[in-house]
Amino acid sequence: MSSENANQKHYHAFFFHTMAQQNSSHKLGMWAFLVQELLFFSGLFMAYIAMRYFYPETFSEVQTRNLLSIPMGFTNTIVLLTSSLTMALAVREAQLIPVEDNEEARTHRKRMIQLLVVTAVLACVFLVIKYFEYSHKLHAGTLPGRFYHFAEWPVFTDSDGSILGAIRPDGSIDVTSAPHIFFSLYFVATGTHGLHVVIGVGVILWLALRAKRGEFNKEHHSAVENVGLYWHLVDLIWIFLFPLMYLVK
Amino acid sequence: MGHSSSEPHVTPLSVYFTVFSSLIVLTFVTVGVSELGLPATLSIIVAMAVALVKATLVATWFMHLIHDTKLNISLFLASLWFMSIFFIFTTFDMASRGNVMKMSDTFEFRQQRADNNVRAGNVVVPEGIVDLKDIESGAHTASH
Repeated sequence: MSSENANQKHYHAFFFHTMAQQNSSHKLGMWAFLVQELLFFSGLFMAYIAMRYFYPETFSEVQTRNLLSIPMGFTNTIVLLTSSLTMALAVREAQLIPVEDNEEARTHRKRMIQLLVVTAVLACVFLVIKYFEYSHKLHAGTLPGRFYHFAEWPVFTDSDGSILGAIRPDGSIDVTSAPHIFFSLYFVATGTHGLHVVIGVGVILWLALRAKRGEFNKEHHSAVENVGLYWHLVDLIWIFLFPLMYLVK
Repeated sequence: MGHSSSEPHVTPLSVYFTVFSSLIVLTFVTVGVSELGLPATLSIIVAMAVALVKATLVATWFMHLIHDTKLNISLFLASLWFMSIFFIFTTFDMASRGNVMKMSDTFEFRQQRADNNVRAGNVVVPEGIVDLKDIESGAHTASH
């Protein structure tokens, strides 16, 4: 696919008959990938359902003890929703770039690059807030599995190092109280989501670079549409993670 | 639905801003509702209902499913269908587990084994707790 020449009318690969065919194939391929992503994340959500089913008191107690910062989770939700909006607007600008490389094309392309950069910056803000949350948990000891050592909700460990359960006030063990299991889920789910955000920053900046080279216009921008779809999916997953992890008591 | 030409369907700006403000309002709603102190089951149902509305808004307008081809929409709906099979059938499995569960898989069994460990002194007292009396005195509040 030659895309250096912005005035060229046809950008499709030799094995496609038309631009429309190429665009719809790109999009179908992207949806197949996104559907796979949904099924992949549904495994983590199912783990949440299962663990909440077996340890209902533990999950409520994590919330009543305020072990996760709702203000930080809330801010991150707003940041991610805003980045989704700027991404949608960047795709819209790409859809408006005329095929002829004129003044109008340059205006839309410039706006598109600005919106992409804003999206990437917001994604980084999300990651910085996430970093503060993680480092706080690292210090407090609210960590996954056998790394858990939070002093205010202490657990007994056997000589092999596996956690048996929380310590009751009388010094006995409560095996139904398992904060380390909640934090295993929390770190795996938000970590996997965070990894998607990191990859998102990379592909968004890649789009901005390609746009700067003058590659996209209203006929040729399926990469922009597809990265947009990916970014909205990352947002979609956070929409479920936030209430499940931070809010539901 | 699908366009035969390669001209994209451009959604008006007002639609994007309306969807975005709805998403922000719904975020406030979900945080507000969680502060009401509803019973656990109800609070999960409300939170997931709000999340589903938000997800529908994102998928329909931001992800342009409303203007997409029937093929892509079917692909998306098929994934939701398979996800619900996964969630519902696994939940059935968990809910009926008590009928077939081995003794060694129950909390009761694990509790006995843990109690035996405590009696035998085969547990590691966490760092920072010099005496278990610390927990009792309220310096460290254990669960329940």
